[in-house]
Amino acid sequence: MATINASITINSDITSNPITISKSMVLKKFQSNVGLEETTGLQAKKFTATTAVKIIDHSDGTPAKSNKVYVRNTGTNNEHFFYVSLNASAAAATTTETIGKLYAGDWMLMPWTATNNSSHDIFVAPSTTAAMTLEFMLFQE
Amino acid sequence: MATTTATLGITSADLTPGMSLGISANTFLYQTGTTTGLELLDMGVGQLTEASGADALAEALGTADTANYIYLCNNSTDVEHYISVTIHATLIGTLGSEEWMWIPWNMGDGDAEIEIQAEPNGTIPYEYAIFKSTHTLPAAT
Repeated sequence: MATINASITINSDITSNPITISKSMVLKKFQSNVGLEETTGLQAKKFTATTAVKIIDHSDGTPAKSNKVYVRNTGTNNEHFFYVSLNASAAAATTTETIGKLYAGDWMLMPWTATNNSSHDIFVAPSTTAAMTLEFMLFQE
Repeated sequence: MATTTATLGITSADLTPGMSLGISANTFLYQTGTTTGLELLDMGVGQLTEASGADALAEALGTADTANYIYLCNNSTDVEHYISVTIHATLIGTLGSEEWMWIPWNMGDGDAEIEIQAEPNGTIPYEYAIFKSTHTLPAAT
């Protein structure tokens, strides 16, 4: 059994009393205290077109199991972003399974359920043809 | 201007033999495409019951295609309890006991609604925070 720890710290002074959210977790198998044991490894990909690209295929995971997806826009231009979405070619603002936009430096860590269907492929689409780099990693059960 | 940061750490000494894993990321949460910090925050805690079915985490009101972020944590300590997280009725993944997630959110209409559901039974305590670029008040009734 592997042990993968993930922590998040959010600091904000939006409110008059500054807030801090701090949480840690161990990435575990579905309904289990046993840790996840597999990964695709940390990957980095450079993009120079706005075309949607699949970064994780639904077949990379096992249905009804626990998976976690880490994605980060390593760029520094605050005007440039990646759409992140579920489903083929859905990486655009107007489609229904677009999750959100990762701006320069933004990261995400989300649970992911892989079904036997392309509706659960993970796509990204850059906002610009300027060179942008994304790093991502899948943790699997 | 408010300043909000979100910091991630992922570590594992034994996921890949002979090569420890260490990911560290930090980002400032800015309003859409700018270097002005987000100034809207919605946060709280709740109890999610299986009997209530799927509930919207929040109304997806606000200007479409903007920068927003969601933190959600399953605070149950019962390993059997998990939260199903969906977007527009498409399952994103399941959040196991004591697990959290952090995603960008392209809110703006019902198609972007994030829904959460307690599984497979009982009551699950959860906490959340939504950092937003814009906010539209619900229509008066």
